[in-house]
Amino acid sequence: MEESKFTNTKSAISVRNVCIEYRSLKAQSIKQNFFKLRKVKQEVFQAVRNVSFEVKEGQILGITGKNGSGKSTMLRAIAGIFSADSGEIDLHGHSISLLSIGVGFNKELSGRENILLSGMLLGFDEATIKERMNEIIDFAGIGTFIDMPVRTYSSGMYSKLAFSITAVLETEIMLIDEVLSVGDEKFRKKSYGKMKQLISKRDRTVVIVSHSLSTLAELCDEVMWMHDGEIVMLDTPEIVLPVYRDFMK
Amino acid sequence: MKRFWKDVTSHLGYALYSAKSELKSEVANSYLNWIWWVLEPFCFMLIYSFIFGTVFNAKEPHFGLFIFIGLTAWDFFSRNVTQSVKLLKNNKAIVTKVYIPKFVLLISRMFFNGYKMLISFGIIVIMMVYYRIHVTWYIVFIIPIFIVLFTLAFAIMTHLMHYGVYVQDLTNVTTIVLRMVFYMSGIFYNIETRLPPQYTAILLKGNPMALILNSFRKCILYGQMPNLKWLLFWFVLAVIIAIFGVRKIYKNENSYVKVI
Repeated sequence: MEESKFTNTKSAISVRNVCIEYRSLKAQSIKQNFFKLRKVKQEVFQAVRNVSFEVKEGQILGITGKNGSGKSTMLRAIAGIFSADSGEIDLHGHSISLLSIGVGFNKELSGRENILLSGMLLGFDEATIKERMNEIIDFAGIGTFIDMPVRTYSSGMYSKLAFSITAVLETEIMLIDEVLSVGDEKFRKKSYGKMKQLISKRDRTVVIVSHSLSTLAELCDEVMWMHDGEIVMLDTPEIVLPVYRDFMK
Repeated sequence: MKRFWKDVTSHLGYALYSAKSELKSEVANSYLNWIWWVLEPFCFMLIYSFIFGTVFNAKEPHFGLFIFIGLTAWDFFSRNVTQSVKLLKNNKAIVTKVYIPKFVLLISRMFFNGYKMLISFGIIVIMMVYYRIHVTWYIVFIIPIFIVLFTLAFAIMTHLMHYGVYVQDLTNVTTIVLRMVFYMSGIFYNIETRLPPQYTAILLKGNPMALILNSFRKCILYGQMPNLKWLLFWFVLAVIIAIFGVRKIYKNENSYVKVI
């Protein structure tokens, strides 16, 4: 970690020697289980190989790399959706959320009810969500549709509502997997602004996965370039991005 | 174990709310909405009453109510069991995006089906008044019987949910097994009077559902003491099975995401 402004602060995320494998854990039928009991060959695909890094409190880390390089897997592992096969991930007791669109939505219910449902799933209690309900509704800006069933929404409204929930209900660590491009032009600008505002709070730690180099350059303190499950470079955007751009040509 | 309680208490709100919203969305688009939850078991009761009361000439006292109690408790059990197999697959959208202790989904399901059962029990009360059933203090035993039923369902669901991820055609197996247990639980006949005594003993002790249905009827309809010893036995067994199930889920819950 070369960045001097972070040397004194505490770590928010420590990732040490993490490997994540997808064994070809295919769902099997009973017949297959009976007949193939002996010759179960497990193909192992290593999505993340021996990755170690540290994110300080208040730091914004960007992760980039081509498709299938293990970025999203890494992000999900940090969020605790699956565990690393070896190595460890330590969040030092911070609350965390993976910003994702429309978790647990029930399409028959109104937007308002879905805010509660989705918020509770993200680990907030009912009182907190109700308190911030109006803020979420305002931000989504979908007008009277908020009391209509979500199935009547256009796809744009759907993502606007979903994004607003995760944007307003904040956690100490936010993991963002390319959600900066939802909705129409106006909303995109608004969400980008909100994102910047969220991110720029000094005590918030953010990890962003993105292909958009301009986003990374603008928002991040550091950029991690992953390739085939390994870290190629981890440094400031000014150093990493030009090399990455050349590589992708 | 500690972790289990912590996870349960911290996610209870979600489990309840999600069950509530499932119920709401189920009735959102139908004309008779929640009346279906009553109508369905009620119609089945009429069918079974006709077939077994009239065609096969069954002579149980209050036969309609007898069947209705059996059906209500059975429906709760079998719905939970059937739905648990595909539970993780059906909740893929949630499971792949946030961490949630997986058995919370089970608990939510049980609230969902439990609510329907509650409505059915409301009908039972009305029918009891109609049939002028003499209620005795034995009725308090329905509470421990409910507890046994919940624990048993949860125990079986934990294991089925786990294997449901890896074994695609588990649904077929559970359908057959459930059908078998259905006929062996005495939903529409009285195990105690209809079977030769040696089978009665085996079914009422070895088949927990038969025991539970029988116990419900004893304390609701006939003012008798249920077989507490065997209820306790099945409760303890169910708790043990559930502990193993929860452990198994904790151990494997992170690989579920990779499979579904």
